[in-house]
Amino acid sequence: MALQDLILGLHRFWAGQGCYLAQTYDVEVGAGTMTPDTFFRVLGPRPWRVGYVQPSRRPDDGRYGENPNRVQKHLQYQVIMKPSPADIQDVYVRSLRSFGIALEDHDLRFDEDNWESPTIGAWGVGWQVLLDGLEISQFTYFQQCGGIDLAPVPVEITYGLERLEMFLEQKDDIYDLDWSADVSYRDLRLREEKEFSEYNFTAASVAMLRQAFNASHKEAARLIARDLLLPAYDMCLKCSHNFNLLDSRGAISVTERVKMISQIRGLVNDIARRYTGGKDGA
Amino acid sequence: MEFLLELLTEELPASHIRSALEQIEAGLRQELLAARIDIASLKTLATPRRLVAAGDLAEGQEDREELVTGPPLSIAKGPDGALTVAGKGFARSQGVDESQLEAVRTAKGEYLGFRRKAKGTPTSEILAAAVPRVLGSLSFPKMMRWAESPLRFSRPIHGLLCVFGSRTVAASFEGFRASDETVGHRIASPGPVKASDFAAYRAALAKSFVVVDPADRKRMILAQIDAALAPLEAQAYPDEALLDDLTLNVEHPLVVFGAFPEAYLGLPLEVLATAMRQGQKLFSVVRDEKQLPYFLGVADAVVDAKGLIRRGNERVLRARLADARFFWDQDRKVPLADRAAGLKNVLFQEKLGSYEDKTLRLKKIAGYLCDKLAPEVKAAAVEAASLCKADLLTEMVKEFSGLQGRMGGLYAREEGLPADVHRAIYEHYQPGSLEDASPASPTGAILSLADKMDSIVGAVGVGLQVSGSSDPFGLRRNAQGVCKVVLDRKLRFSFPLLIDRILAAYGDRLTLGRAEVKAACHDFFAGRLRFILEKKGYRYDLVSAALGPGLDQIVDAQARVEALDALKSSPQFEPFILMAKRINNILKGLPAAKVNPDLFVEKEERELYSTLSIVSSNAQPMIARGDFARAQGILFKLQPVLNTFFDKVLVMAEDKKTRQNRLGLLQSIAKMLLGIADYSQIVVEGERTAKPKAGR
Repeated sequence: MALQDLILGLHRFWAGQGCYLAQTYDVEVGAGTMTPDTFFRVLGPRPWRVGYVQPSRRPDDGRYGENPNRVQKHLQYQVIMKPSPADIQDVYVRSLRSFGIALEDHDLRFDEDNWESPTIGAWGVGWQVLLDGLEISQFTYFQQCGGIDLAPVPVEITYGLERLEMFLEQKDDIYDLDWSADVSYRDLRLREEKEFSEYNFTAASVAMLRQAFNASHKEAARLIARDLLLPAYDMCLKCSHNFNLLDSRGAISVTERVKMISQIRGLVNDIARRYTGGKDGA
Repeated sequence: MEFLLELLTEELPASHIRSALEQIEAGLRQELLAARIDIASLKTLATPRRLVAAGDLAEGQEDREELVTGPPLSIAKGPDGALTVAGKGFARSQGVDESQLEAVRTAKGEYLGFRRKAKGTPTSEILAAAVPRVLGSLSFPKMMRWAESPLRFSRPIHGLLCVFGSRTVAASFEGFRASDETVGHRIASPGPVKASDFAAYRAALAKSFVVVDPADRKRMILAQIDAALAPLEAQAYPDEALLDDLTLNVEHPLVVFGAFPEAYLGLPLEVLATAMRQGQKLFSVVRDEKQLPYFLGVADAVVDAKGLIRRGNERVLRARLADARFFWDQDRKVPLADRAAGLKNVLFQEKLGSYEDKTLRLKKIAGYLCDKLAPEVKAAAVEAASLCKADLLTEMVKEFSGLQGRMGGLYAREEGLPADVHRAIYEHYQPGSLEDASPASPTGAILSLADKMDSIVGAVGVGLQVSGSSDPFGLRRNAQGVCKVVLDRKLRFSFPLLIDRILAAYGDRLTLGRAEVKAACHDFFAGRLRFILEKKGYRYDLVSAALGPGLDQIVDAQARVEALDALKSSPQFEPFILMAKRINNILKGLPAAKVNPDLFVEKEERELYSTLSIVSSNAQPMIARGDFARAQGILFKLQPVLNTFFDKVLVMAEDKKTRQNRLGLLQSIAKMLLGIADYSQIVVEGERTAKPKAGR
């Protein structure tokens, strides 16, 4: 089973669970959680079910294409079910069986792991799911997002697609994965990993990134004031990505780090508050 | 009759299970006790998905007879002895036959009343109410909500099994009605399992691949480890904490034995063990204390017939070890001294600045401690201080944070730095707990003290508090580490002066004033010392007495309590304590007075004064050295002289000058005694004092 078959299988499976299949979001994010299809939709009382593939950028994880497990951009399959169904663990287990894993021959574990993202004021409780010792998913009951308590509580399931595919193909090197019958992960991604590692660690212009951070930050604040919350949130995502790049360039000092994260969180929390109908300063 | 309770949940963290079982047992015992249900036995068990209680309880409450009183007899009965309207009304309202009424004599006079036979409530009814209360009041280190339920719990709940005497108890909890049914192993046998008592429950679950007793699972793990390693004549590297966690992580343990390429044996043992344990929770395999290229894992599975679990774990471990070797090779390319420059970008604590700031302080504090304790290692200690945090910037420590310190020490050794320096770096986080060993080298001990004290004084100085179970900055562990190092190595240095030195190193960074910080540190350490000394088995009142004189020298707290403990059974001890208390009682609340030998009237007070001078000049040097047992022995000599003094001399004399002079004499005795211990805290026979709260 090639990587794209896994994606098709996940789409089919979660569509069968009533999920709307969203398209990949077109702004750089560090995790599938950060896209509007999760961030805004977990807020408030309205039920929501969604599944989508989201490339996740972590500039600091770049290894110039030389590490068999680590890349600065990997794929997540993100599922949100709100409210969390009572049988969601069983559903998740069925999803693994659906692409042919005979779980009786393996060791499946739900291992305590609580997740938090200070940048978007979010945290949750749950597990990392281990299959024969390999982490293949994060399974989280989302408690808070944008600083707001979530009710009803959504469950978030994030599959690490490359990890899972390495398990399915029994391969030790991410670049050996088959994307399709004819195209390998190496063909598609190796050059990108090399060039972006160079960019993330040495080539990116610190001055440009700082400017971009400040401009996006200012723009977000301006848009919030005009109640244009979705565009404002995009600006926050840009801030977050520029922050990550500055960090991988080693350009952020201690005091700056704390300040910048809280700057972004302040805006994001404000957006969440307004989106749910609360006024600012609440 | 047999009682069985199972709460079925999603996978609970091991620490939550431990805490929940304690709370469930205590909660049930309390409920049953309050409801007067006899408990023949009660135990708790668990798997990651089940919290279980099982026991043998009385069938119900004992039947009881209670006396119900009504109106006074004078009102209830007429002169003819027949019931009045009031008397009849009482019988009617209570639903008793008039023939059952009788006269009841009370302190207030005679009343009409009767004896009611109260039938005991059956245990099943008591349980129906008690079980939801006990489960609903469980608290966990981190709580969550799910779906639309307002309940906060460890993880979502899936079912309640509750039977008593083979019958389902009519309890319900969070929308789950109790039944006599549960489910088997999530993967191996997920179907329903019925059980009406514990033996049947345990057997039925075992058939469904769930071993419900953690003790059984632990035995299975150990037996399988032995079986796997016997041919190799090797052992699993002992790790009780890991074994206990794994026991609570699986419903059906299967030990998986695997191998990794021998080439990785070139990595330091610390790195190998951490790579195996962290994330994958694998045991290392050793023979004659040497690492072998094998590992043991514990799967939650029935068999690994195709070897897929083993191969999967081998693949994951290989990737981790490949990473570790890459880090080990890369990290050694940059000397620690160069790396340390980057510490300005690593946050120590928001208000306390970066690790570069901390490093600069550590050099000063370590230097100061060397001046006081071990001038010969000062150069090494200061060098180690300047390098000890640099490993926070190594890839290895970024990946395996538990290796901090040890990794720096290993890299320092690889760089060829002197043994004093790399050992000190290696050891400076030690001891991580009271059970952990203190640093073995004197330089390591000094750096460990400097590091921990810097953290504590800084945190206290910006108002970070330790409260209940919350101690985000690890202050309690750090303070216990300081005490352990000082007590283990019997280090003598002035604690308040060390705090002064650290405050000076912080400059104007802290928000609390000097006196406030010192007082808070004193109280905090007194609390930790009390905990440590009581844990060592010393009587709580002796510990209070030993902490009474304050903490100028931390090491003296233990020396004082040891002296008191050694002398507590001596025949001189109790009379001496009573004497000391008598003096304290006389002096309570009085202002300080001066002694003037010229003002003595009686020969007994002159004698006491001269004995005191001799005793004092002999005892003082011993007190200063911390030799409290011998000092105490000398102090006993005051006893007969004091006895005579109290027999013959009236302290509260009419004449004010004489009285002040005598009080002054007693005050100088009290002051000398307080150099050893606060004797007023010691409880002696015939006295009953409530146990004071820990931590003053």
